[in-house]
Amino acid sequence: MDASPGIQEPFDLIRLSLSERVFVKLRGDRELTGILHAYDGHMNLILSDVEETIMIVDAQDGASSAQGVVNVAKRKLEMLFVRGDGVILVSPPSRT
Amino acid sequence: MSSLQGYVDRRVLLVLQDGRAIVGVLAGYDQKSNVVLSDSKERVYSLDEGVEEVPLGLYLVKGDMIILIGEIDEDIDRSTDLATIRAEQLPPIRY
Amino acid sequence: MLIFSVFKTLTDQRVTVELKNDLSITGTLKSVDQFLNIRLDAIEVLDQARHPHMMAVKNCFIRGSVVRYVQLPSEHVDTQLLEDATRREAANSNKQR
Repeated sequence: MDASPGIQEPFDLIRLSLSERVFVKLRGDRELTGILHAYDGHMNLILSDVEETIMIVDAQDGASSAQGVVNVAKRKLEMLFVRGDGVILVSPPSRT
Repeated sequence: MSSLQGYVDRRVLLVLQDGRAIVGVLAGYDQKSNVVLSDSKERVYSLDEGVEEVPLGLYLVKGDMIILIGEIDEDIDRSTDLATIRAEQLPPIRY
Repeated sequence: MLIFSVFKTLTDQRVTVELKNDLSITGTLKSVDQFLNIRLDAIEVLDQARHPHMMAVKNCFIRGSVVRYVQLPSEHVDTQLLEDATRREAANSNKQR
């Protein structure tokens, strides 16, 4: 293991993101950004200052689904528990 | 699972994964929230006509199929005329 | 175990549970178990007019597996405590291997 110190397994990446803003991709065409305060082995998460983005694809009449219009809905939530079974990925903050 | 304790022998509403709503008396339950309902009826909702109640009798519902179990307030339920209610069925679980 | 403990500290607070069928139910958190099944009292269903199904229901048991989110009262969540507890639990689960 000669990766950066303290990182041996995937969950270490999440541990090092505690109290940082993370990006979370969820099932059902949903994405979140928020500050990570807690997680567990199921990838249950607790985030604060959350912005949720939902992609809603409206299939047009007579058009294939690829041509559907994508509507984006956003909302803000103060403190949120996210159940782990909906989580696809957690990405640490971009260091830009 | 102490959470279902208070519901035994009460009239309850079961909402299932596919959106169906079933009312009945909670006869029993177990660890996995499998439940037995007696005198149960499905409440079929539609936008075109009032709620239809379909008698089902004694039902065992697998816990995995259950979204929620609510205790029915008998007074409110009795004072509600199901025939006047128009609503879509509850949406099914998508993930 | 950590998340279960967090919910236990929020007993008697108002929370909003959003289900995977898009139903949102606000209520007073009465109890939670190891599966994160939730008991709510004094419930209100968002958009009651569209969802009259639960009109006569005042308290309910929600199966943990159908929960998408729970909106928590941020003033009752100590984020520093949460992060410390999470680090401690992560360290413990690493040691066990």
